[in-house]
Amino acid sequence: MRNNYKSVFDIIGPIMIGPSSSHTAGAVQIGRVANKLFETIPPKVTVHYYGSFAQTHRGHGTDYAIAAGIMGFPADDSRVPLAPTIARKRGMDLRFVEEVGESPIHHPNTAILKMTDGTKKITVAGCSIGGGAIEIRAISLNGVDILPAGPLPIVIFRDYSKKMANALAINADLEEKAPFTRRQVLRAGNCDIYVYDIQNKMQPDTIDYFENKYPNIICL
Amino acid sequence: MYESVRDLVHVAEKREKALSELIIEEECHDSGISRKKVWQRMRINLLTMQNAIKQGETGDGVRSRTGLTGGEAIKLKNYRERGKTLSGDAMMAAVENAVATNEVNAAMGVVCATPTAGSSGTLPGILFMLEKRLKLTEEQMIRFLFTAGGFGLIIANHAGIAGATGGCQEEVGTASAIAAAAAVEAAGGTPEQSSHALAIALSNLLGLVCDPIAGLVEVPCVKRNAIGAGNSLIAADMALAGCTSAIPADECIVALDRVGRSMSAELRETGIGGLAGTPTGQAIKARIFGKNL
Repeated sequence: MRNNYKSVFDIIGPIMIGPSSSHTAGAVQIGRVANKLFETIPPKVTVHYYGSFAQTHRGHGTDYAIAAGIMGFPADDSRVPLAPTIARKRGMDLRFVEEVGESPIHHPNTAILKMTDGTKKITVAGCSIGGGAIEIRAISLNGVDILPAGPLPIVIFRDYSKKMANALAINADLEEKAPFTRRQVLRAGNCDIYVYDIQNKMQPDTIDYFENKYPNIICL
Repeated sequence: MYESVRDLVHVAEKREKALSELIIEEECHDSGISRKKVWQRMRINLLTMQNAIKQGETGDGVRSRTGLTGGEAIKLKNYRERGKTLSGDAMMAAVENAVATNEVNAAMGVVCATPTAGSSGTLPGILFMLEKRLKLTEEQMIRFLFTAGGFGLIIANHAGIAGATGGCQEEVGTASAIAAAAAVEAAGGTPEQSSHALAIALSNLLGLVCDPIAGLVEVPCVKRNAIGAGNSLIAADMALAGCTSAIPADECIVALDRVGRSMSAELRETGIGGLAGTPTGQAIKARIFGKNL
């Protein structure tokens, strides 16, 4: 049994603006992950679509959904259908590319977002698996390629001081409050990156706790 | 989380508890959220569904931006008022609710995905008909949603709930099956009968392709939800009558997954095959998006 869906609210829900939970609500979520990873609204974004996303993004409103997510809007925000216009008014250079051929992360609903502000470059590869749920299967951050298991939540901690003590503290804290199934440690030029695949959904107060306590932590 | 339908039914029988109760307990356990909050969240989902139906059934109804869908919930409402439906008023009330919801979805209104937006009409279609027919309380309606959600989780984790991976059988098929299982509980049936209703409903929509015209969630999606609602009611009634599925529910779910995997990409939400590939389907696409698509 796969464990992609963790809550009855993945089945009954989300509450959303139509028309498609996978191509609209899920696409908003992929955009929101991109927003969290970039830690602000990125000035330039190129979205590469594969499979069903490439074939049907216009009909499904996937473009406005991704744009809405990049700006941090939730899936039921009434601004969702107007998001590309809002993004361009804010000066964002937003492009959509329909790719042919197999998705690099092997799912028919794939969007790969390449974001940059000229110096910082972050890439996130997400797929929308149905009913608004998404997986993040690849991230490029601080020049390092990260391959999480896919299902959210994923916690990423960047330790610029490179002290093992920080990692031990966060490990223990996560084990108590948000148990993880896998941990990866990656070495970037200027930091150590810890990636945790979290078992159950994280509640907003748990996310607040970690974000307040640890600098440079991202809870996806 | 329950591993299988068999597991869920077994625990319900052994502990003599309602399926909805087990699923509420499980949700609280897995998420760490209080029962009160979990209940309240589901109540908001229920109210969202109710609002969507109301929007689609009021005045002239809604119209999508493309003009492909809308207004047919009103036609159904007027037809029902004449009192001469062939399949009976309960059936057509469910169909009207289902169509209203998906018309609102196509018109970019607010819906609650059950399990997906494309299949968001099937389950509320039945639920709000049963509200009147069985005089369900709000508590019973919320329990209906938990039961459906619990069965839906098992299907989602063993097969899928996306047209792009498994066709419409995973969207409207799943919606129809989980609504049938929940309807049996609401009508006072046993957990075992719920599992048969799920199996019967899923079996009947096995192989249903996802072929949206112009890649929009309009044609045939809106009417597929009407059929999903009808199929669900038939399956629930059959199970309540004591009819059984020869193939156990869990094996039907495996079949759903295998059939989905063997569908060609043209039939999995690419807007290429099936109805989308017909001359009229292609002409509509050209009219909406221009010929270069």
